[in-house]
Amino acid sequence: MNFSYNDGELMAILLSREVRNGEISACGALSQIPAAGLLLAQALHAPDAELIILNSVFTPFTTSKSFHYLAQRGDLGLFFVSGVQIDQYGNYNLHQIGANPDKPNMRFPGGYGGGMIYYAAQRSIIFRTEHTRRSLVEKVDFISAAGSTPPDVLRRGQPSKVVTPKANFRFDSQKARLILDTIHRGLDYEDIRECTGFELGVTAAPPTPEPSEEELTCLREVVKEKMIATNTYADWARKTLGNALHV
Amino acid sequence: MGIPYVPILGLVGTDLLKRRDDMVIAADPFDGKTLSVVARALRPDVAVFHAQKADREGNVSCGYEAEVVMLAEAAKHVIITAEKIVDKITAKTAEGAFIPSILVNAVVHTPFGSHPAGCSGLYAPDKDQMREYVLACRDNTTFAHYLQDHVHAVPSHEAYVERFVPALWRNPI
Repeated sequence: MNFSYNDGELMAILLSREVRNGEISACGALSQIPAAGLLLAQALHAPDAELIILNSVFTPFTTSKSFHYLAQRGDLGLFFVSGVQIDQYGNYNLHQIGANPDKPNMRFPGGYGGGMIYYAAQRSIIFRTEHTRRSLVEKVDFISAAGSTPPDVLRRGQPSKVVTPKANFRFDSQKARLILDTIHRGLDYEDIRECTGFELGVTAAPPTPEPSEEELTCLREVVKEKMIATNTYADWARKTLGNALHV
Repeated sequence: MGIPYVPILGLVGTDLLKRRDDMVIAADPFDGKTLSVVARALRPDVAVFHAQKADREGNVSCGYEAEVVMLAEAAKHVIITAEKIVDKITAKTAEGAFIPSILVNAVVHTPFGSHPAGCSGLYAPDKDQMREYVLACRDNTTFAHYLQDHVHAVPSHEAYVERFVPALWRNPI
């Protein structure tokens, strides 16, 4: 089978596969791709997953404090987060870019709750729509949340994966590093090596299982309709889902 | 609040922690070994924040999250700027967070007091003005100009609103 799909659809499908039935899974602000992934998982393999999409109707809470308490208790199974930079140690940066921390070239809004949730959720998955040497780097310019911590430090969970439009990485907790896991359609190991700013940790990787017809159809029909009806990133859903040309 | 410090889950290993002298890593006092971040509690002399509504006694209805309640509970003095002054606000009639007048020292009637940021339920961020602000922040000279134009050279809040808030927002059709 050879379907056409865009990066947003591909990533939403890859993220949806990480959602486990019966668990509580969440994404934060500006998270249209994970939001679509969560709804897709619920429509397909995880009908009893509890979803929390912050700033949407899909949250039981009226304040983020309540959500933070849930995460702190260790009740959050999966959290989707993004970063401007992600490094080989699973650290991400949402604060600033530039070699000199006192004189950054660019500043961002910061990590908000991520500096806690990344340590509290059982599994955290970083999604990044740009896979280049400037986004996947050896070492982030500023650590907003750390991939690993010494054993005595209170921590309830770990990074699990990094998902981009080109490949999946898994986090090896023994080595405390990201390892190339699978490579998406149309690309090979050399392509990934060229656009990744750190060592891949393996000399070869299998292809990523492709989106199925069922996944794509459900995403483009059921999920799209739901996102529009509930005003959950509705504009993004209209533009991206079912529009294979959109990159 | 009045507590001395709070334990925090997370933040260990971040650069944020390196830049804060009010947060340290400490052992759990009960088991003597589990490490987590401990932050010294803030005790602001003055807290100033914007609300949708306040009454003349200083009761406040703040249509967004409850963090502002904590802020009012922690500070020595509390000044509220409010979009609208109404007759009476109680915990029951407040929309969103309620801050009782016992915590509040002053209320200032300040329509468009959040501008160029937004005020939940009333107006969105002013994207053009925000863009101008962000561009101005790039270096000290441009920021000094921005500060001069938007703050120092503006005689009053009314003058600010007149000059910088879009006319259509001030006088909706």
